[in-house]
Amino acid sequence: MKPPPFDYARADSVDEAVSLLAHHRGGAKLLAGGQSLVPMLNFRLLHPALLVDVNRISGLAGIEERNGALRIGALTRHRQIEVSRAVGDHFPVLRTAVRHVAHLAIRNRGTLGGSLAHADPAAELPMMALLLDAKIEISGPNGPRRLEAREFFRSALTTALDDAEMVTGVELPLLPPATGWGFEEVARRAGDFALAAAAATLTLAAGGKVAEARLAIMGAHEFPLRIAAAEARLAGEAPCSGALGAAAKAAREAVEPDDDLHASADLRRHLVEVLARRALESAARRARELAAQVTGGRAP
Amino acid sequence: MSEQRTIRLTVNGASFEREVEPRRLLADFLREDLGLTGTHIGCEHGVCGACTIILDGDSARSCLTLAVQADGAQVQTVEGLGTVDALHPLQRAFREHHALQCGFCTPGMLMAALDLLRKHPSPTEREIREGLSGNLCRCTGYEHIVRAVRTAAAAGETVGAETETASAAPPREAGAGAQSRGSARE
Amino acid sequence: MTNLRPGLIGARVQRLEDPRLLAGRGCYVDDLRRTGALHVAFCRSDESHARILRIDTSEAARAPGVAAVVTAADLEGACRPLRATSRMPSYQATELPVLAGDKVRYAGEPVAAVLAESRYLAEDAAERVAIDYEPLPAATDPEAALAPDAPRLHEDLASNVIVDREFARGDAEAALAGAAVRVSGCFRMGRKTPAAIENRGYLAEYDEGRRRLTLHSCTQVPGIVRDALAELLDLPGHRLRVVAPDVGGGFGAKVSLYREEVLVSILARRLGRPVKWTSDRREDLMSTTQAFDEVVRAELGVDEDGAILGLRAEIVGDVGAYSVYPWTAAVEPVQVASFLSGPYRVPDYRGRVRAAATPKPPTGAYRGVGRPPAVFAMERLLDMAARRLGMDPRDIRRRNLVRDGEFPYRAPSGLVWDRAAFTGCLERACETIGYDELREMQAAARAEGRRIGIGLASYAELTGVGSRIAVAPGMPINTGTESAAIRIDSTGAVTATFGVSSQGQGIETTLAQVVAEELGARLEDVEIVHGDSAALSHGTGTYASRSAIQAGGAAIVCARSLREKVIEAASHLLESAPADIEVTGGAVSVAGTDRRMSFRELARAVYTEMGRLPREVRERVDLEATGVYDPFWGTTSPATHAALVEVDPETFEVEVLRYVVAEDCGRVINPLIADGQVHGGVAQGIGAALFEEMVHDPSGQLLTASFVDYVVPSAAEIPSMEVEHLETSAENNVGGFRGIGEGGTIGAPAAVANAIADALGVEIEELPATPERLFRLIGPGRRAAGARMETGPGGRGRGNRFTANQTNSGGRSESGSGPTRQSK
Repeated sequence: MKPPPFDYARADSVDEAVSLLAHHRGGAKLLAGGQSLVPMLNFRLLHPALLVDVNRISGLAGIEERNGALRIGALTRHRQIEVSRAVGDHFPVLRTAVRHVAHLAIRNRGTLGGSLAHADPAAELPMMALLLDAKIEISGPNGPRRLEAREFFRSALTTALDDAEMVTGVELPLLPPATGWGFEEVARRAGDFALAAAAATLTLAAGGKVAEARLAIMGAHEFPLRIAAAEARLAGEAPCSGALGAAAKAAREAVEPDDDLHASADLRRHLVEVLARRALESAARRARELAAQVTGGRAP
Repeated sequence: MSEQRTIRLTVNGASFEREVEPRRLLADFLREDLGLTGTHIGCEHGVCGACTIILDGDSARSCLTLAVQADGAQVQTVEGLGTVDALHPLQRAFREHHALQCGFCTPGMLMAALDLLRKHPSPTEREIREGLSGNLCRCTGYEHIVRAVRTAAAAGETVGAETETASAAPPREAGAGAQSRGSARE
Repeated sequence: MTNLRPGLIGARVQRLEDPRLLAGRGCYVDDLRRTGALHVAFCRSDESHARILRIDTSEAARAPGVAAVVTAADLEGACRPLRATSRMPSYQATELPVLAGDKVRYAGEPVAAVLAESRYLAEDAAERVAIDYEPLPAATDPEAALAPDAPRLHEDLASNVIVDREFARGDAEAALAGAAVRVSGCFRMGRKTPAAIENRGYLAEYDEGRRRLTLHSCTQVPGIVRDALAELLDLPGHRLRVVAPDVGGGFGAKVSLYREEVLVSILARRLGRPVKWTSDRREDLMSTTQAFDEVVRAELGVDEDGAILGLRAEIVGDVGAYSVYPWTAAVEPVQVASFLSGPYRVPDYRGRVRAAATPKPPTGAYRGVGRPPAVFAMERLLDMAARRLGMDPRDIRRRNLVRDGEFPYRAPSGLVWDRAAFTGCLERACETIGYDELREMQAAARAEGRRIGIGLASYAELTGVGSRIAVAPGMPINTGTESAAIRIDSTGAVTATFGVSSQGQGIETTLAQVVAEELGARLEDVEIVHGDSAALSHGTGTYASRSAIQAGGAAIVCARSLREKVIEAASHLLESAPADIEVTGGAVSVAGTDRRMSFRELARAVYTEMGRLPREVRERVDLEATGVYDPFWGTTSPATHAALVEVDPETFEVEVLRYVVAEDCGRVINPLIADGQVHGGVAQGIGAALFEEMVHDPSGQLLTASFVDYVVPSAAEIPSMEVEHLETSAENNVGGFRGIGEGGTIGAPAAVANAIADALGVEIEELPATPERLFRLIGPGRRAAGARMETGPGGRGRGNRFTANQTNSGGRSESGSGPTRQSK
């Protein structure tokens, strides 16, 4: 299991990386953390002509808050997201999710941009981009563009990126106050790809009704999904167990899983409903607690 | 075949300059080109953790890293931890608790434990088990490994001292190091 | 045996091998560097059963750095045929070719070998080998393979039935007919692989000047490999040396002779260059021996008090394509039948076992060999019977375990249990886990909707099997004895040499403890040499929980005879009667005096200082001894495992909350090491119970060809464990030892399965108890119960990320015809 031969170029800028990609027309692959790419090379599932190493491009990593959003550079390592104070403050759901990504040694190397571009249907960060309405910043031969996360994931391991484009960062709009969250995952082992996972945020309006609910799932569909029917079902409702349960059922109906080695489609559908319900329940509980803090101690 | 590249890096405090093919895995580079066979290869797809090393201050899989990527880097392998006659405190704790049998996963386990303890100096048992979950051991059932890591953590200063000696290998990005230490407070 | 005088045997000694392994200074086969070495990459079959129509190696042979591309045609006449023989009447031997010739019989079978300057270049060239196959029909299901009209895997055999054997005592049918309660099930554990973290690796080098071949192998059995290669290659033992250096785990995976070992040996001699092959993980998962793949249909009958009346079983082993050398494909399924009755009084028994050749990788020894599936079936049946009777699982075991007054007890298959702590282990395990309190806690938890279960499993195994009952009849090897040689050299240093070898068991420490104590040496002065066929006339290796008994026994008899020589020399040198000479702490002394000599002084006097000993003493008393030990019978090692689990009834995740083992390994040599052996075995057993499964699709393609899909548990999935040792003296061997290496894996699958069954109120008949299986048993998925899960590549989840179309480590090929795809 040794990689096939390829050439290697170290890009010093995004423009250089993009022009190398454009020059090789699909024969080049970007090398960021390499935690998904290198195993595929070792298995000789890929035979790229060129690897473009983007690890030394300055300014591509980092987390900063600006204009009501958190911007995370594409080269930011999972570990940096995990320990970022800003992420912890604004997106505890993201911090929780990223802790489910593989293991410490993998998180030390793996990058946000790499995870999004790889688009594994059971990977946490694509689902989180979707849940958090990420704007995905892309650079290509024709300059930069931005895509909504929901336009980005096309199918398993396939995104809206062209051969010569790369992700440079994401922007996550901050959530309103009194937004609770939940994250639930079932995997065979700690750090394994999920059999299924669900993540939710829930924002309460005054009076305890749901102002906005978001629900995303992964591992049970070709790509991570936002469950619009569930979100619509909850909007304007009190987050009682009946409503949350109905929303979770909507998630089950929205997914189209396949059978694979570790779980049947039936089990995945079932897990989606269970995990969606648990994630929504956690989100509702946390939202009520936050609202209670705001209103001085009494849960609505 | 592709063109050879020249890389310069520091391994266990010593500088090296070598020609490598771009596809050469860092694990093979360490083992074959530098003769540092303490780093073992168990799966070459990032699951077993036997090849774990410290790359610029953080644990990394040397089977998922190309040698060319380590150009300019500071690498620490098990050979840089302690010697047969002067074991590192973590190695001593492994011996005291019989935390190794065949020894094949051990170098990777040690390097993973080292990074874990630098980032979580006082881990709970659950944190130890999850922190080492990227390293498979087939011999010990992990029981004695967990005890050894707990003992090393309780001896605190031992691993802290290592952090200081490892300051010869600072993280490339100062910010990353600060964040790593910040995580220790969690 | 109680240790009256505090000594080294029984002490928690830190391991002597640890410093080098901890410091990265161990030396495993892949760590060996040889100038001019060639590296092998194999083209492995991507068909499970097919005729090889054409192999085109021309392009690969021209690839950069390639020295040779070898196929079966190039190996004709290179060695004698490799066939595992047996005297079992129904046994049909299969020939194991070094490379597949006219036919392939499993996906992953080696078809061509590329030798190149590096593994990278060898893999590049392997991608350029074109192999055309004509697929043949295949019976991948073992029961289907038994049918007379099933497609035959080996044309030279009469059928796919490799062995057909029956064990019987009394009239099981009549006993069952008269039973108050009869329970039955069809039990399957699923195919497992030992998955040592060190993949297999071999390096052969040929010294043309001395016409001497050396094979460095990660084998557990250097002696067996040497003897077999000597036959195959027609070389005398002094021109063929097999060395096992540090070995990164074995667990049975490395006890068979592998075709890759033969191949590198042939080619090193032929090419005059060192030849090295290091398996990668994908190759390991499809070419190293696999195990535990039996279908056990069994029925148990008990009376109204729970006493066992009769047991019968039909066992079909899915043994894969070839009989492994030397153990044969019968080694595991036959033991399922012979051990099925467990540590219980079973008056009437009939167990028939058939081994079916299937187009899958060969099965072989894996920790526990046959007993994990046997214990899983029997312990489940006991719990099923207890449930029907409304009896507690502990009570039905108390009712049926062979009791202290009943030893030696002849089990219905003919195995004889010597006196050991059968009931003692059960009681101690229950006491340690707090069985009664847990039952109360369980009831309270159930009231809250939590699903908590307690599982017990009791078993007995036979360890250190001596020459009277060879591991399998008619094998060309002697598994009953081991030898040792101990010498005090002219510097006074003690070197003890053994035919066993270590894959992590710590024998450099435990054997040093035995030698030091028996000889009167200091531990630090004893060096243990093992794993080198050239070091002794005969030895086999480490397997079947025998090293403590056989090698420990040899250490004792050998050290005692050396001690006699030391005493004789000392009595002359210290001018005292032999009876007054004491040997302790690496020195000899005269009791009650200050006359004393260190081993170093003694050795100098004996070897170097002429005239200090009379001539006849000098000629007789060399400070060396050899010894062979044969325990003749085997020694019984019993245990009870107790597991506490919780099942999430919505997600079907199982968490093992507590785990207790009470076992009797006789006299413990080193408690630290004994605990470690149990822990490791239990972790593999939990892996077998909950996670690990080799999955082949109906066409015989391996779907679990990576560590992503073959799920080995990590520290996060394995619970903390408590181990209790009951030390019943094993009077049938000189050391009083019982084997301990395999038991953990024998008991754990059954204990965990029983705990899950207890938690959920269902019967578990298939392992691993994955979320999918539990979903089908208790969840909304039970509608589809009975239908095995459709598995296949290309799912959208995490499965099969690295499997599809990648059976081959190179040599991409297409069935029938067509061009070979080139690397891009």
